[in-house]
Amino acid sequence: MPDSLKTMISELSKRIGKEKILTEPEELYAYSLDASTEFKRPPAAVVRASNEEDVKAVLELADKHKVPVVPRGSGTSLSGGAVPAVPHALILDLSMMNRIEVHIDDGYVMAEAGATVLEVDKVCREYGFFFPPDPASSRIATIGGALAENSGGVRGAKFGVMKNWILAMEVILPGGRKLRIGEPVYKWRWGPDLMSLFIGSEGTLGVITKAWLKIYPLPEKVVRILGMFDRIEDAGKAISQIRRRGYVPMALELLDRETIEIVKESLGYSVEVAEGMVIADIDGPRESVWRIAGEVENVMKESGGRTRASDDPKEMEQLYLARQGAYPAVTRAYPAVLLEDITLPLSKLMEGLRELDKMRKEYGLKMPVFGHAGDGNLHPCICFDPRDEEQLRKAREMFVKIGQLSIRLGGAVSGEHGIGLAKKEIFLEEIKAVRGEGYIETARMIKQVLDPNGIMNPGKIFL
Amino acid sequence: MAQVIPEVVKFAANNTKEGGDVLGIGIERRIKWAKGIIERGPVDGTIFYAGEMYPVMGYSEGAFKMLKRVEGLMGINDLAKIGPVMKKLGIYTVGVSALWGGINKKYEKALQDAVKVLNGLGIKIGYLFEEEPPSGVALHTYGLLREFKDHATKVYKRFKELGVKRIITPDPIVATVFRLYYPEFVEGWDIEAYHIVEVIARRIAELGLRFDLGRKLKVTYHDPCYLARTLGVVDEVRFILSRIDGVELVEPTRRGVFTACCGGGGLELTQPPVARKVSIERVNELRKTGAELVLTSCPPCILMLRTGFEAIGQKIDVWDLVSLIAMAMDHGIKEGEKVKPEFTRYKVLPKSPGLKTLNIEDIAKVLKMETDRCKKCGFCIVECPTSIALKRLESRSCRGRMTLINSLVGGDPVRPKEVLDRLYTCVLCGRCSQECPAGIHAQELIIYGRAYAIYSESIIKQQEQTSLRR
Repeated sequence: MPDSLKTMISELSKRIGKEKILTEPEELYAYSLDASTEFKRPPAAVVRASNEEDVKAVLELADKHKVPVVPRGSGTSLSGGAVPAVPHALILDLSMMNRIEVHIDDGYVMAEAGATVLEVDKVCREYGFFFPPDPASSRIATIGGALAENSGGVRGAKFGVMKNWILAMEVILPGGRKLRIGEPVYKWRWGPDLMSLFIGSEGTLGVITKAWLKIYPLPEKVVRILGMFDRIEDAGKAISQIRRRGYVPMALELLDRETIEIVKESLGYSVEVAEGMVIADIDGPRESVWRIAGEVENVMKESGGRTRASDDPKEMEQLYLARQGAYPAVTRAYPAVLLEDITLPLSKLMEGLRELDKMRKEYGLKMPVFGHAGDGNLHPCICFDPRDEEQLRKAREMFVKIGQLSIRLGGAVSGEHGIGLAKKEIFLEEIKAVRGEGYIETARMIKQVLDPNGIMNPGKIFL
Repeated sequence: MAQVIPEVVKFAANNTKEGGDVLGIGIERRIKWAKGIIERGPVDGTIFYAGEMYPVMGYSEGAFKMLKRVEGLMGINDLAKIGPVMKKLGIYTVGVSALWGGINKKYEKALQDAVKVLNGLGIKIGYLFEEEPPSGVALHTYGLLREFKDHATKVYKRFKELGVKRIITPDPIVATVFRLYYPEFVEGWDIEAYHIVEVIARRIAELGLRFDLGRKLKVTYHDPCYLARTLGVVDEVRFILSRIDGVELVEPTRRGVFTACCGGGGLELTQPPVARKVSIERVNELRKTGAELVLTSCPPCILMLRTGFEAIGQKIDVWDLVSLIAMAMDHGIKEGEKVKPEFTRYKVLPKSPGLKTLNIEDIAKVLKMETDRCKKCGFCIVECPTSIALKRLESRSCRGRMTLINSLVGGDPVRPKEVLDRLYTCVLCGRCSQECPAGIHAQELIIYGRAYAIYSESIIKQQEQTSLRR
């Protein structure tokens, strides 16, 4: 451990108490990974903050001693966001800061960074509301982490991502200064939108400690439609047509044949196999929801789909079985998976699916494709055996090529999993191809102003 | 025994290996409850197996309570050091008996009730008295798998000599050991093992019996993890309770195969303060049901829930389900409709990876392969009782334990003793295995990981010495 860190820990333990600071190797190795599983590095220390003062103390002393800090919620980042990229870093664990307050009359929830997305959603439901962003990890992913990664989920097609649901936040900056941005009201104007700086910044600018989040009334009724297609292109066509004609389903999911087959084999679920499966959730008032659902069903049929629809909770669960089991099935069936996260323009969805299929055949690796196609976000899963060097090489090459495909088709290399360590290089390709060098320069200037000593999650994104 | 093992585990393991109970209370006190109420068995090949925990659970309860009072001055491992000294001086059994013999009467009564119910239903059983060998559950639980294998092989031989064909036990952990682990470790194991609840439910259904409690009573049932999740026995309990007039069952939020840990699972012995926190979480949930009485079917669950209710200042008693049935039987047995006994045997846990041999290399291979599959999604943490009790402390949550096992077998600079300490914080409730999207049987891996940490000690020491010499 470098002297600077030793001195920092000694000063910090006087400020916040030594019981919140972990330095035993077994504690550190427990924090050496996140859900990307690809990157492993234990921190030199872990601080378990239980309040804002703890966070301030850490960032003040880390800045003074130039100790790298990696903020962490539940460590479910799929891109290496919660793993130190540099040696001798300190992980700031915010999972104990998990207070939630519901302000139903004012239409918001206040949540500390360590509260899970599901807990926030649950408390809203007691009042007939819900919190729309729903990352697949919502039962454990924290609000702080979800904001830092700008996460989305199944409901993204209608409700977007975390940035669409925030009213205000508090951030602790390097040096320990507190920054309050926004107000917990639905309209406010005061200068440049600093909030967007921190959302999706992956902990590279400061530590989000608290957020005031918008909530939404629970739909009166939801109808689930399942469409089975004989060609994957037809499934893609159905999705783009549903959106093109102005329907905004609460969820619009796509699964390809390989995914369905793996679910069937690996989990033993009784599901019909087809080249493509589309699942649409239509929400609305009782009187009109079935009319809209019928229209969406017709669009699927026009695109060549065979459909089933239901508003019965048990049957709806049955219709969602294959999607529910997609990722678990893949993880059970193969020793390793590289989970992709590209977003394509809806008009390019069919082309993208064709290209992915070509790639899969060319490389000879299994690659089930599923995802939130309603917002163009696809999760091709590259399955391989890491003990086989050739497979490992192929998988890594495919990972890059899929990113390049998204750039070529005018999409984005990451829809909701973040850049972190996993997509640093390909993200730079995207920026160079689309946004130009000016973007990087501007972002680096902002980083320099907010974090002059470069202590915040160094080595991530391009910062 | 390996240096990495805490004193209390050594104490429990040595007592088991000597053929005794975990606390080494002694055979006299262990079989006291049975005198005059049950014939020497087996009867038609069937034995009532009380096991090494239930008959002396009151002593554990007493020790557990005492530890709370002396917290800060003395820990469980200090107490475990005193035990053998007292034994040598010949004052151990007399001492603990004087201290906690009174508490133990409640557990003895439950065993007597169990026998009364089985007899009342015409189920033929015998008891082995001083010949009943301990199942070796502690050896398995704490990862002493080589010792467990040796012990289990001897137990099997003894059972065969005595003509045992069928075991009925009120302890679901013991039932699990006999039903799932003996077949894995003992070649040719062919003895059937049942938890008492399975046998009672089947009999009541076949004979079409009903009981009357003679009064109204609101009860809740705490499903023991080993009974509900590991053995998949859930429906039987509800069926039995539905056959007792006067009983109103109010279920807690987490029930059946989704039940929550009581704080036992071996944790009560290795890390009592954490066990206490877990039990408080559970009793608070049970209290919310508004029940007047809590029922369960597992001796460590009774201990943990009783002490948990005491800790939160609630005077709610915890009984074994068999005691309620015995009480209802006192009011007479009525004829009811006969039912074909069809109870679902729930299977919610993934397939166990199993160990081909107990060679350290083979254990390491299984652990590496399985923990490599962990995607760190953290779904296991949400319901992990020790993670909840310790406010998501990573190293003592399921995911953290998987990471640490992987580090240990992968050669990262972590210390076996310290890793073992964290693995011993697990209550083996299996909730993690149930939640794992990748289908990893984390509960089993924890036991294998304990074994690896224990048996790899000498190898790691050799490696360290070699590298120092270089």
